[in-house]
Amino acid sequence: MARTTHDVLSVEWIKLELLRTAYATRGGLLATMDPRAVLAWYVLLALAPWFTHDATVLGLLFAFSVVMVVVSRVGPLVLGLFVVGLLTEGVYLAVAAWLFGGDVDTLMALAELTLKLGVVSLASMAAFVSLDPEKLSDALLALRAPTLVAFGVSYGYRMLPIFMEEFHTIVDGHRLRARPVPSRGLFAWRTVVNVGVVFVHAFYPMMLNTAKRTRTTVEALETRGFTVAAHDPRSRQVRLAHLRVTRRDVVVLSMTLAVVLASYGAGAVHPTSFR
Amino acid sequence: MTAVIEVDGFRFRYPGAGVESLRGVDLTVEQGDFVAVVGGNGSGKTTLCKAFNGLVPHYWSGRTEGSVTVSGVPTATSTVAELSTVVGYVYQDFSNQLVRPTVRDEVSFAAVNFGLPDHAARTQEALEMLQITHLADRFVWQLSGGQQHLVAIAAVMVLRPQVLVVDEPVAELDPGRAAQIYECLARLNASYGTTIVVIEHHTDLVARYARSVVLMADGAVVWHLPVAEAMARSAELDAHGVPAPQVVQVARAFERTGPVPLTPADAARWLADRGIEARPAAPTGPTGPAGGTARPVVARLDDVRHGYRGVDGRLETVLAGVDLDLHEGERVALVGSNGAGKSTMLRLLTGLRVPRAGTVTVEGVSTRDVSPSVMADRVCYLYQRPEEMFLTDSVRGDVALYPKGRDVPDADGLVDEVLALVDLQHLADRDGRTLSGGQQRRATLAVGLAMRPSLLLLDEPTSSLDIGSRDGVIAMLARLADHIRCVVVATHDMHLVAEWATRVIVLDHGDLVADTTPSRLFGDATLTNRVGLVPPQVAQLGRALGMDPPPLSVTELVARTGARPHAHASASGPHAGTEVPGGTHDA
Repeated sequence: MARTTHDVLSVEWIKLELLRTAYATRGGLLATMDPRAVLAWYVLLALAPWFTHDATVLGLLFAFSVVMVVVSRVGPLVLGLFVVGLLTEGVYLAVAAWLFGGDVDTLMALAELTLKLGVVSLASMAAFVSLDPEKLSDALLALRAPTLVAFGVSYGYRMLPIFMEEFHTIVDGHRLRARPVPSRGLFAWRTVVNVGVVFVHAFYPMMLNTAKRTRTTVEALETRGFTVAAHDPRSRQVRLAHLRVTRRDVVVLSMTLAVVLASYGAGAVHPTSFR
Repeated sequence: MTAVIEVDGFRFRYPGAGVESLRGVDLTVEQGDFVAVVGGNGSGKTTLCKAFNGLVPHYWSGRTEGSVTVSGVPTATSTVAELSTVVGYVYQDFSNQLVRPTVRDEVSFAAVNFGLPDHAARTQEALEMLQITHLADRFVWQLSGGQQHLVAIAAVMVLRPQVLVVDEPVAELDPGRAAQIYECLARLNASYGTTIVVIEHHTDLVARYARSVVLMADGAVVWHLPVAEAMARSAELDAHGVPAPQVVQVARAFERTGPVPLTPADAARWLADRGIEARPAAPTGPTGPAGGTARPVVARLDDVRHGYRGVDGRLETVLAGVDLDLHEGERVALVGSNGAGKSTMLRLLTGLRVPRAGTVTVEGVSTRDVSPSVMADRVCYLYQRPEEMFLTDSVRGDVALYPKGRDVPDADGLVDEVLALVDLQHLADRDGRTLSGGQQRRATLAVGLAMRPSLLLLDEPTSSLDIGSRDGVIAMLARLADHIRCVVVATHDMHLVAEWATRVIVLDHGDLVADTTPSRLFGDATLTNRVGLVPPQVAQLGRALGMDPPPLSVTELVARTGARPHAHASASGPHAGTEVPGGTHDA
């Protein structure tokens, strides 16, 4: 088959999707909010499913999370992985229940857990796709996380594209220079093993190159007052001065609270059991 | 004038090092000066500059003697944080200095860390100083190398330091952008009175922009002189591994003492004053057509179009329909500004990427039909950053990776032979990352040679190298002719183009705009201006003297004037570019 350039489902596409997700380039409702409000929203929705066993409540919460994922403009890669994960888990549960002599009851009990985890996952996607690195790090700092943690988060994001490029380059180097896979084998198992081996081998140069790079970074941080900031309350004040909770934040949070309460209300009126 | 930095008998030894890196430095930097620090590798330039902002000895706590006083405060009793409001430092590997996601955040970082209430205004001011306000909301990884460098400078200027130290500002930039960075430094110096200290080995830039020059050798200052006097001592510079600018070498070929010109325009006047002019007929220089079309074709690009998707989903065209044949025996230089499509073209030749349209064939095999690992039997691509090619823990391991993986007969013999060729046997068991810049390049060349490709592709093989190591790499490239059918080098280094290439391909915004020879390229002012290339000084001077095609080396220029150089012409020094590759001896 002749090789061509693909715009989706290629390595380049995955790299771009990761960047779009990490840097919240698509915008969306939550992306316009104060990062502390986004975290509060996330905590609210992530805790909500754990206080019930009722299918009506969980179903409504799940539906609400789906809506929030749509308005938060979660990208196809993350969403696709989630759907694939959900489907394979469903199949796996069915097979496991059948193998271990379970019946529909077992399956339903496990489905309840899946639904709860689904709500949390969807909420996580919506929240973290909407927080770019600065917002996340500022929110953490505002919530009294240690300076080093807050900085670490933003630095990690900053390095992400560099790591991705470098990893890709090193893997390409192995493809070109190391022993080629003679034949793919049954279900291409040799290719799979080879990819695994290359990933492990790529670790060594990645580590050393990063260590070398960080030397400059650490010195530069010193000259730019990073250690001063860790002990200086003025620095924290200045950094967080731009954070403002607006009316929009309050509206979204109260709406979410209303939806959660309404779901529980509906569950009380029309209880649906998983069993 | 008042002194802003005073160094008095300063000695320093890195912890655990056997010898002192600085041995008794005495130096005074005046407020408002533009100082260039020059000297060979290991002469202590970087260590000295790190003593200015207290990284030495506060961060690197070695043994010190003597004193460094910055703005009246001894660094020994100050802290790095306090000193960094007086002395800003921009690293050679500046991209590692950028720690925040967006440009505005990066620039404000230091001001915010120090809790300055006017940080927003300062950030805006720094962005305006460097004229990068339009980049403020971009992510750092979206920027080109030159833009990143400006951001790194702005991020330091936000503290309004009196002194700005820049370590090798232009190592990885194309010549057009290198001039921009220097123009920018000169503007900071003139408009804001910032004292500028650069570590630089491109003496042509030193001559043009600096006001005084510090020559370092063996951890001490040899002299600190006004730039004209410093450049006039070309023999001393040369002896310390810092070749003088080509225009100075030209002047020295005629007069061994006295004042020297600092720019090509100066040099044209200097020669005119002495009645030296070009001989009417141009006796040397390759004039035939680029590349012999009769030679067998090694690789062919047929209407190749390629582009990348950006984060915003738009398709950015990188190559817009390129047709090109590469022939046996050619030394091809691929030139064009950053982002012109050079690296993309090389990657397409390896088969790592296939073009969106058109075909790439190497020795008759299309990259669409085989995997990159099969293509690797014919094509080898050496990355710009050598450390990305070091996949194992020793140079020998890296060189052996391909021959052993492909079960080449007598792989060990081949590896030894190749290591001998690049003169690295004694370092073969070291990790490539621990070698010096020049050694790293030679190690990657060895990796390429051991693959025995028909087509060797090199991306910026001379970037970030000092002049001595650079000449070593160019000499090594010249010796490859017997081993490889065709070599393609993507480069910003016009000296490499002048000294090595037989054919030049000029790319501009994805179009192939010229296919020519070095001398004809440098003779075409419209073309070089259009694509932002700066010809070597001899070519510029030759053009000013009306030589067509312009000369490619100092020796050639001197030979093509009517005048006789003095008996012991110093222009034939080790770095004067005495060999002119051309139509006559390379067929």
